[in-house]
Amino acid sequence: MLRKLLKHEWKAVNKVMITVNLGIVLLTIFGSMILSTDTFDNEEAFPLAILLTIFYSLSMITFSTVTLIYIYIRFYKNLFTAEGYLMHTLPVTRTQLFHSKLIVGYFWIFLNSMLNILSTAVLGFVAGLHFASREDMQDIFEDVSKEFLIKDYTFADIFGFPPLLLLLVIFLLMLTSCFGTLLMGYLSILLGQLMEKYRLAASIGFYMAIYLINQIITSIAMLLPSGQLMIDAMDDTSISFMGDLLRIMFPAGTAIQLALGIVFYMICIFLLRRKVNLE
Amino acid sequence: MTLLECKGLTKKYGSHTALSNISLTIEGGHIIGLLGPNGSGKTTLIKLVTGLLSPDSGTIHIMEEPIGPSSKSLISYLPDHTYLNQAMRVRDIMDFFDDFYSDFDSMRAYDMLAKLQINPNHKLKMLSKGTQEKVQLILVMSRRASLYILDEPIAGVDPAARDYILNTILSNYDENASILISTHLISDIENILDEVIFIQNGSLHTHASVDDLREKEQKSIDTIFREVFKC
Repeated sequence: MLRKLLKHEWKAVNKVMITVNLGIVLLTIFGSMILSTDTFDNEEAFPLAILLTIFYSLSMITFSTVTLIYIYIRFYKNLFTAEGYLMHTLPVTRTQLFHSKLIVGYFWIFLNSMLNILSTAVLGFVAGLHFASREDMQDIFEDVSKEFLIKDYTFADIFGFPPLLLLLVIFLLMLTSCFGTLLMGYLSILLGQLMEKYRLAASIGFYMAIYLINQIITSIAMLLPSGQLMIDAMDDTSISFMGDLLRIMFPAGTAIQLALGIVFYMICIFLLRRKVNLE
Repeated sequence: MTLLECKGLTKKYGSHTALSNISLTIEGGHIIGLLGPNGSGKTTLIKLVTGLLSPDSGTIHIMEEPIGPSSKSLISYLPDHTYLNQAMRVRDIMDFFDDFYSDFDSMRAYDMLAKLQINPNHKLKMLSKGTQEKVQLILVMSRRASLYILDEPIAGVDPAARDYILNTILSNYDENASILISTHLISDIENILDEVIFIQNGSLHTHASVDDLREKEQKSIDTIFREVFKC
């Protein structure tokens, strides 16, 4: 039955989700085309560059927000409004219903996050490639390169990890943070259903409260181990401080998001197995 | 065979008791009218039996199965409002039912759609409210379920559609199955009922055979209802 639920869940959300993610791809292609031309090679184009950068950033934020809100609304509407009368009378368990929403929602939120990162990386790469080919920029690049070579900095000194390992670490952080974020929304909606009245408003209230707690826990867990590093770095202008910091922050963030995600998941399952009362 | 057995069902909404200590059984092969004024607890009882609500106390069994996936596969439920995703096409909804209910007869469903000239390629939101209700009824009555639970199936539709709905119900259910119909429009369905259940203020007032009740009171069910629930 879970397979059938997944099939229909996929069918119900894919149109909107494909459109949103296609928007990211098209925007990236469009941005890359502009950046590979000499449009921004003169100083007069500076305001246009700022404007397009703001447009790009806002678009990316919108794509992510739309994805997240759409997945949350789908969960709420399909299970706890009129449509819930159909879904909760299907010959399936409540956990199967929940898992179908979790798997499909997770897929789209993770894909969306990865596309966001890829898009930024592609645009950065295209812009770097274009400016590196300019004669007046080559001197700057050479000076920067020399500075790093003299002090014998490696990629890991600056970014905390060798290139491939850094990609893996970012990938793991995205995997866990998408899991935590999605479950935070689902949990808020389920908690809202425990109220006698104003369940939607209660869900939004729970979301804000859990989001705040999540931010506090994540900040403390990531900043505490970094504290000593910051104190040490006060006398040290070495750029390797950055690498040391990232070596702590990435794994700590991943662990926290995974732990919170698991806690959220377990509470969701507990709530689902308790009484369900549709309005 | 006993299809539905409720024992000591109680449901409260905050301090308000919607159902109080309801016990009843429904056997196979009957059409039962679930009757009562607004707010008497009819819909609450139906929602408990279909698993949309959880009782505060008491038990429910459908063919000896407690409420769960097995009991839900035995019940074909028509709520008193549209419960289908408006963005779906009629054909997609047919596929949905076909996937989840092994007792769904899609040929019968498509046949009924054709008779009513409903295009399966249309999205639900393109259909009128009355046509949407007919689509829901077709879906529900195209199953070979053991227990059909219909909440206000004829409310809000014109008399011609009412006849069609009642005819659809009568001509599409299995002999061994039972139908529980909740309605206010007693005179319209009185002739098809075998039993009636009167619910008053969340309590079971009467559960009797229609013939026995008529013979005892020498009145129609509609008249008895009006007398029992007189304001």
